[in-house]
This record gives sequence, C-alpha cells and structure tokens, in this order.
Amino acid sequence: MREGPGMKTKTRNLTTRLLAAALAVAAALTVTSHADAQEILLTGPLAGAPAVRKLRLHRQGRFEITPSATFTLLDEYQRTILLGAKLGYNFTDWLQFGVWGGYGAIHMSTYLTDQIQDQNALRRQRDITDTERRLTALNLGPDFNDQLGSMDWIVSPQLSITPFRGKLALFQSIYIDTDLYIFGGVGIIGLTERADCTECIPANNGTFPMASRTAIAPTFGPALSFYINNWAALNLEWRFLPFSWNTGGFDTAGGGKDGEFPDNKISDADRRFHFQQLLSVGFVINLPTKTKLSE
Amino acid sequence: MKKTGVGLLVATALWLVPIQSWAGSKASVGASASASASADTSSGEADASGDAAATGSGDAAAGEGEGATPGGDKVPGGDVPGGEGLEDICKIDPTACPNLDMDKEAARQFKEPLYAVQQIFALRVRRFELNPWWGISLNDQFVSHPGPGLALNYYISNVLFVGLNGEYYQPFNQDQAFNSQVRRAARVAVPLTEYQWMANLNVGYVFAYGKFAFLSDFIFQYDAYVVGGVGMIFNRPIPVIDPDNRNFEYKGHLSGNAGIGLRVWVNRWFAITTELRDYMFADQLENLEVALPPEDKNPSTWYDQDSYFTHNVQAQVGASIFIPFSFDYRLPK
Repeated sequence: MREGPGMKTKTRNLTTRLLAAALAVAAALTVTSHADAQEILLTGPLAGAPAVRKLRLHRQGRFEITPSATFTLLDEYQRTILLGAKLGYNFTDWLQFGVWGGYGAIHMSTYLTDQIQDQNALRRQRDITDTERRLTALNLGPDFNDQLGSMDWIVSPQLSITPFRGKLALFQSIYIDTDLYIFGGVGIIGLTERADCTECIPANNGTFPMASRTAIAPTFGPALSFYINNWAALNLEWRFLPFSWNTGGFDTAGGGKDGEFPDNKISDADRRFHFQQLLSVGFVINLPTKTKLSE
Repeated sequence: MKKTGVGLLVATALWLVPIQSWAGSKASVGASASASASADTSSGEADASGDAAATGSGDAAAGEGEGATPGGDKVPGGDVPGGEGLEDICKIDPTACPNLDMDKEAARQFKEPLYAVQQIFALRVRRFELNPWWGISLNDQFVSHPGPGLALNYYISNVLFVGLNGEYYQPFNQDQAFNSQVRRAARVAVPLTEYQWMANLNVGYVFAYGKFAFLSDFIFQYDAYVVGGVGMIFNRPIPVIDPDNRNFEYKGHLSGNAGIGLRVWVNRWFAITTELRDYMFADQLENLEVALPPEDKNPSTWYDQDSYFTHNVQAQVGASIFIPFSFDYRLPK
C-alpha cells in the first residue's frame, strides 16, 4: 500500500504530540526539581542544628550555693526574716535537685499586734474581776508578743525546673542572662505555738506555756535568676507554703455545732489555714566557676 | 513539522540548562545540598533530595551516579546517562573540577548575617494600648479589694507613655473572717475600709526588654516598665465600733501611685501583663471612741481625727491590646 500524504501527516502529528508530552513531563519534573533545590537550601547545613549555638550553660553539671534572706509576707501578728541558703546540683541545664533551708533569725511584730498589746496592757491594770479582763483571760497573757506563733526554721528538699531562659536589656545598655524557673518540694517547718491546754488560765495570770512542733507542707513557687557573670547571679524566689497553725495563740474554734466557736481550750482545732508566702533574695554562686558552652 | 520537533527539543534543552545551574549554585551551600541537587538532576527523582538533605550525605544518588574527583573523592552525580557530568568536566578542564573536602566544608563555621541592631519585635510608638485587668490586693489581711480595671495608654515614643487607668471595687470587697475572730478573742476592733472606685492619670517608661526561650524552642518577647501617676480613690469605713449608729458615705481622697509592670508579647498587638502597683493616699478611719448620745449620731464624730497614710498594694493581671494592630518599621531589617 502506497503511503499517502494524509498518513504521513498523522505520523507527524503523533511525533509532535509525543514531543509535546515529553516537554510537559520535562517541565513538570523541572518544577519539582526546582522546588527541591530550594528545600535543600533550607535544610542543608542547618539541618538538625541546635536553635542556639555557643549557648552559655549556666547550670548543667554545676553545684549551686545560694546564701539568702527570706521575708514572710502578709503576716497577721509577726513578720519573720529567715537567714539561710540553698544548696543544689544541676543534672541538666533545666533540672536541679536542691535543699533550701532557713533559720528564723529576726521576728518583728505588726501594727495589729502593737494595738492588741496596748489594749491588753490597759485592760490588765483593771481589777481581775473586770468583765473586759475576764473575757480575754484565756486568750491574752501579760504580753501578747510572748504567745505568738513563730516559724523557727524551715528545710525544704525541692526540684527546680527551668523552662524559660533568656536575656534582659536594661535601659538598652545592660544585657544580662535571665532564667525563670519554678520549684516544688516538701517544706518541713519548725514552729513554736501556744501549747495545747484544757485548763488554760495560768495561776497568778502568768504567761502561757509554748510548745514546739514540726509541720509538713507542700512548697512551690516561681523564681528568677539574673546572671552577673559566669559564676554569680542574683536570685529572687517567691515561695508558697500552705499549712495550718495558730498564729495568735487564740481559742478560735472547736466548739459549737460546726466547731467554729471557741471551746475554752487550745487545741489543733484553733489552727487556721494560712497560704503563707515568703520572698527570698539570694546571691547564687555556681561551682565550678567556669561556664560551659553548648556546641 | 520537522522544524517544530527540533524547536521543541531545543526549547526543552534550554529550559533544562538553567535548572542544572540553579542546582549547581545550591551545591555550594553544603555537602548535602550538593549531593541531593546532583541526584535530582541526574535521576530526575524528585523525592531523592529529601533524604539526602536529611541525612546530610550523597546517598540519595547512590546507584544513579557517583563520580570521582581527581583527588579520589567521590562526587555524587558523576556518571550521568548520556555522558555528561562532573567527570567530563574534570577531563576537559581539571582546574575547574570540584575538589572539595565535604566533611571539612560541613564543619566550617557558618557565618549567618547578623544585623548590628535587631528589629524590636513590636513597636509601641504612636500606638494606643487598651489594658483590661483584674486587681488583687496584696497588703490588706483584713479586707481584700479585688476588682476589674481598665487602662488606656498612648505611647509618645517607643519607651514613654501617658495614660488613664481606673478600677471598680464596690461589689467585690471581702471582709475576712479573721477580723471577727480577733474581735471575739482579743476584744480589739480593727478599723476596716471598703473601696468604691479609683481613677488615675499616669506616665510610664519602658526600661527593660528581652526575650525568653521556652524549653529552648519557643521564643517570646517581653518588656518591663515603671509607671506612676496621680488620681482619686473613693472609699469608706466599714462600721465595726458602733454599727448601730454609723453609716458612712463614700468619700474621695487624692492619691499617688507607683508601680512596675511586665508585659509578655503573644503577637505584635496582644500581650499578657502583670503589674505591681502601690496606690497611696491619706485615709480616714472609723473613730474607735463612741461619742455620748445624742452626739453619737453626728457623722462628724464618726471619723478618727487623724488621717492615716495608707498603701493599697495591688497585683494587676490582664491583657494588652495595641491599636493599630499593625505598624511599619522605619528602616528595613
């Protein structure tokens, strides 16, 4: 059969279509490879690289010694300043196990305590049968300050986690490394409170006996560290310590239907729940003194 | 039609040539880039480069073409079907032959461009700040004064602002059980006060800013500021000494305030704020003495003759909304 011009044309059309298809495939592949080339740029030498290089590891593998002064907040009758220290070891840059402890070195009465004592002193000048004096005989001794509950010492094994680390610019000229961390542990608190009693008015109106006890409570809070140099930092800790204790030595509860009325006794029913707050200011010393750098 | 076919082939070839060039330019970025780009070109496999980039080696091209440099180093993509590749380049011009130690290049210090002055995350200048908050009193064990508040500030510069703020206390005052316990046990009444509202005109200065990384991953910006001002606070004593006769009206007192705040930016127009603020004023308390009848019903005998300088220290936690929401940097990055 002789090849006619029409058949030739069909063959040529087929060739053209094949070429066009090849061109389209090539174009599609070209687009893909172009995109891949960009992807390579994004994930090339920085692939798997840490977010920060040469990061100062202020904590990892270092011991911490932090002498501190701790101030109680929102006290009703007596403020306490505890002098102490925190000792800790940083297993990683974000996890520390340590022990904080403080001794209640300074106790200061509040304005309310002074007011109560002023009234108490006036009242005690009256006759012992005077109504005002008789009604407060169970609750107020000769000096109100002598019956106040006090925090004598606190020891707290605790874990600290540092999820936030960064830097702070002061007045656009001073730049310091800063950590924000949270801590939590068990607070063991040495307390002195008015001793339990059932016949609570001492003979000859003497002072009320006091007793020591140890309370255990959870403790937790947020804290900030401001690094001065490679081995030293200023530290602020806001500590919460919720527990019940009798801060004023009063007969507050234990009687009545719901136990919320006085029962003429001093007992553990008179302990009121306090969400105790303490603010610590410390000077952190990290050992060894040299800071490691990350890769 | 012959011409058409040739033309299409030439067009295809011309189109592909720049692609090889682009891939080649990426190769200078690093070893993995070189490997994967070459692999793509040689094999036409789009997904091969992903593995190469991830592993940081030229494995993706394995089996599809690896050449050798004159120095003996394997160069991926060397044997390209059709006889074109790096090996041929090396044969033609040995000086143009790539002779890179890939390990050395990969370990080389990466010099990222750093700008002398980084752009501040969120500019404040010429923007309004709307700051609703909830206030909690920190230093009053007897009556707590929580309440909602609102501040409106305008930033004259990026660090200096002026504004108004106010808080509404009246329905939220809480007389603590501790007060009645003390009255019952010690027969001593503590003068108590409840607040109604306050308003202040303030000036503030942003003295510090910085950024934190959360678990070395999420980075957020923050700034700290000091603020102070003058205003009025309205309050009245809660009658505890002679509640049968005394019924106090709210009265205004001139007040001054000072505080410090911390603002954590969520995005460029929204932030979480915390402020510690001390509102100071001369307060009038209930008179601890009760006048003899009929003077006990005279309001002038209800107040203590002295005034007492009072600190109302509050924590204020809220949100900041900056308006307009967007802004333009004056200079490019």
